[in-house]
Amino acid sequence: MNIVVCVKQVPEVSDADLEINRKGSDIDREDLEFEINEWDNYAVEEAVRLKEAHGGHVTVITLGDEDCEDVLRQSLAMGADEAILIDEDGFEMSDAAGIAKGLHGVVKDLSFDILLTGVQSSDNSWGQVGLILAELLGLPYASLVVGIEMGDGKATVFRELESDTQEKVELPLPAAMTVQTGINTPRYVSILGIKKVRKIKIKETDADELNLSEDEIGAEGSCVTSRKLVIPSIGGAAEMLTGSLDDICNKAAQIIQDKGGLV
Amino acid sequence: MSFKLTKEQRDIKKAARKFAEGEFPDRALEFDRQETFDLDLWRKACEFGFVGVFIDEEYGGAGMGFFEHSLITEEFWAADPGIGQAIMSASFGAELLLLFGSEEQKQAILPDLVEGKAMIGTAITEPNAGSDPASATTKAVRDGDSWVINGNKMFITNGSTAKNLVVFCQTDPENSSRHKQHSFILVPTEAPGLEADKIHGKMGIRASDTSEISLSNVRVPLENLVGKEGKGFSQLMEFFNRTRPHVCAQGVGLAQAALEESIRHVKERYQFGKPLASFQSIQFKIAEMATLVRAARNLYYEAAWTVDKGKPDHALIAMAKWYAGEIAVRCADEAVQMHGGYGFIDETKVNRLYRAAKVLEIYEGTKEMEKTIISRSLLQS
Amino acid sequence: MENIFVIAEHRQGEIRDITFEMLNLGNSLAKENDMTVTSVLLGKDTGDIQEKLQKASDRVLVMDAPELADYNADYYLAALEGIIKEKTPRLVLIGHTSAGMDLAPPLSVRTGAPLATDCMDVRLTGDTLEATRQVFGGKINAELSLKPSATYMVTVRPGCFPDAGDLGKSAETDTIPVPEWTNLRGRHFLEYLTSETEDVDIAAADILVSVGRGIGKPENIPMVEEFATAIGATVSCSRPVADKEWLPKSRQVGVSGKTVKPKIYIALGISGAFQHQAGMKNADTIIAVNTDAAAPIFSVAHYGIVGDLLQVIPVLTEKFKNA
Repeated sequence: MNIVVCVKQVPEVSDADLEINRKGSDIDREDLEFEINEWDNYAVEEAVRLKEAHGGHVTVITLGDEDCEDVLRQSLAMGADEAILIDEDGFEMSDAAGIAKGLHGVVKDLSFDILLTGVQSSDNSWGQVGLILAELLGLPYASLVVGIEMGDGKATVFRELESDTQEKVELPLPAAMTVQTGINTPRYVSILGIKKVRKIKIKETDADELNLSEDEIGAEGSCVTSRKLVIPSIGGAAEMLTGSLDDICNKAAQIIQDKGGLV
Repeated sequence: MSFKLTKEQRDIKKAARKFAEGEFPDRALEFDRQETFDLDLWRKACEFGFVGVFIDEEYGGAGMGFFEHSLITEEFWAADPGIGQAIMSASFGAELLLLFGSEEQKQAILPDLVEGKAMIGTAITEPNAGSDPASATTKAVRDGDSWVINGNKMFITNGSTAKNLVVFCQTDPENSSRHKQHSFILVPTEAPGLEADKIHGKMGIRASDTSEISLSNVRVPLENLVGKEGKGFSQLMEFFNRTRPHVCAQGVGLAQAALEESIRHVKERYQFGKPLASFQSIQFKIAEMATLVRAARNLYYEAAWTVDKGKPDHALIAMAKWYAGEIAVRCADEAVQMHGGYGFIDETKVNRLYRAAKVLEIYEGTKEMEKTIISRSLLQS
Repeated sequence: MENIFVIAEHRQGEIRDITFEMLNLGNSLAKENDMTVTSVLLGKDTGDIQEKLQKASDRVLVMDAPELADYNADYYLAALEGIIKEKTPRLVLIGHTSAGMDLAPPLSVRTGAPLATDCMDVRLTGDTLEATRQVFGGKINAELSLKPSATYMVTVRPGCFPDAGDLGKSAETDTIPVPEWTNLRGRHFLEYLTSETEDVDIAAADILVSVGRGIGKPENIPMVEEFATAIGATVSCSRPVADKEWLPKSRQVGVSGKTVKPKIYIALGISGAFQHQAGMKNADTIIAVNTDAAAPIFSVAHYGIVGDLLQVIPVLTEKFKNA
């Protein structure tokens, strides 16, 4: 069974103090660490598990500059067999549809049974790329996947709905799925895995090779025409409790008591 | 010239960090308080290939350098020095076998170290021989086809957990040169007459086993000699050239962790209505720590690089070892200072860093010995 | 007159809250721009739902077919593609929900309508659409505008708009003929699965102490349980804690977990992703403890403490033990 996984490199922002650049178009990325998008990491793990259970071949693809190769090497070290980098800075101002077009340029020529992406990326959180890609390929799909069971020419897929409910759907193969966090526990990268990467040549391509013109990708090809970032006011409505740890706890304890906590 | 790690080296560092951050923090306090360790954690690190990466592929290793071994150590120590030491010292002695051991010895010992089936240790220090190893008096005497060994070894890492120890023995006490009296001999810890006594009450790295070893008429075959008879002292210097960059990595990892913990704390902690990070006295401490860590890291990278190039620079390695220990102690001290009362409690990570740091100025060459080596290289030429 | 479509969402015979939130947004946009609001309802035997929609819409379009009884991308796409292409609404509102997230991106491809997902606010200005959404884990707001187009498509973040309820309207219902199903991909809906646990019901608790990623490790949970006991609370959690299986899924607060409305909600080390906020922001009093002063949780909390919960909670617990 052959599986294609699309992954993305994103800045790690959970512990970072973010600042916005002067144009207001992006965050200041200088001092940030970059990681594989959390959802995509689950997708890679799921692909490798499916391969280990059913045999086959896992191909990972990313789109970005050469530094994004890091996430491909990590995916290879986790057990993917092949990697393709779409090294193209023309996608910089792309919206989700533009990114999907770029990925489509590569994926359309691959033979696979399952196409996986994360549900969304932690930076833009569009939640669109995987499904637009599915549509461009004319594939059956399911989003928010928290479980995959392989059958004969089909897959039974568990989708996460609201309120602690799941939906069980069946998809004929080939099919596309967007993977939700928690579907598995991604493995650590091993030294053996890292060594294996030495022998793999990461394939590179770009928009020219994919016959994508500038007006199809990037700002011109995007429906989202402007983007201005702002940092929301800190704290919002919350009254911040300050002082020594003891003062803070006294205040908090008083609030809890006033609002009905045990005395 | 490039100051960048290779892609593979970056991948190794990141993989080590992820593993350590995922596995160590949950257990660090327990191991530290109880002076215990869970060997499953070491086995798991072996399963992911982090132990003995410098061992050649033909003996099951990754065939990488001491530098890569050091990068892993740096990350493991940044997560927790005690656990980092318990895991990464499991191959302490493999360097000797790789350099000087017979083919049979390498085949017999090294694969188990990589696979997590056995640990090894190296026994050099004695109750009366520390910085001056040439004064070691543990004696090995030929008797038929055996060495018979008698003596005591002190502060031996993995003494109670290793399957084998490489023991620094006096084999030619009559030799006129005190640097030609010793030899390394491989001794299984299950050999009759070998007793290991775990040392309790260490100030830091309490997850790592340190023992006192007594050898009383311990018999091992003559083939257990590692390298050449009488060459023990020069072999020891070559051994230290490989293991000292590893100690540098311990110090840099520890100092890095002290810096990161401090940054986190001073941004969170409010005093006088402002975060600590807004006070210049704190800002300067952070700036100094970051500079010290960077300097120590670059120094040891270069030192380790000379080792992997096959031309270890003894004085440079000594500089890197002294400096890494020094800045680890200083950064841990500043980190505790910035944490105030919290830093004085063992539940706080910087407290463990503080207690672990001091040993870096002591083991595998005290800072005084390192300075002796450095000055000798400058003044005796 | 130009038209705003609201794609009504329902499951197992129940209309979903997001529908009325979208109707609220749709009606205010319609008022500002002199437009009308049309609810589009796909399903099977949806009479009850139609009645509710009529009170907050200018028109209700209904398509009734067994294939539409449960949400299925194949049939929903086929049906909506036809309707949107024929009616060319100015704007199509879809919930940013498990169904809407599944539906909207392919629908935008099929109809050619530019799509902005997960929007918290939407404005129609001149010939463009502007929207506000969150990026970078909710730490940054992005203001967008979309390229001029006959039709725009937006998915609306749950919980951003109040329930439209009954606006006193009485829309007419038009039934749309079921098309010949084309472009199907073979996706089959099989069944719904709800977890059956005997665990405590966090939705019934008066006080919740909820832990997030900031708890660091499972060994710290007993400390939180001790605190919860001291104040008579039940322990709940955010998604990362349930994903890691440090607490059972039944304790998870948020969109994919439970929606709660306790008297006091204490969020410990929870950054406050919207999926979490949607499950707890109606609590009477919210107290948040987080090391990151910029964490989105402070925007819904009533009281905030910037600090490490591991330091705060033991001290706070003592206050109650000594009381």
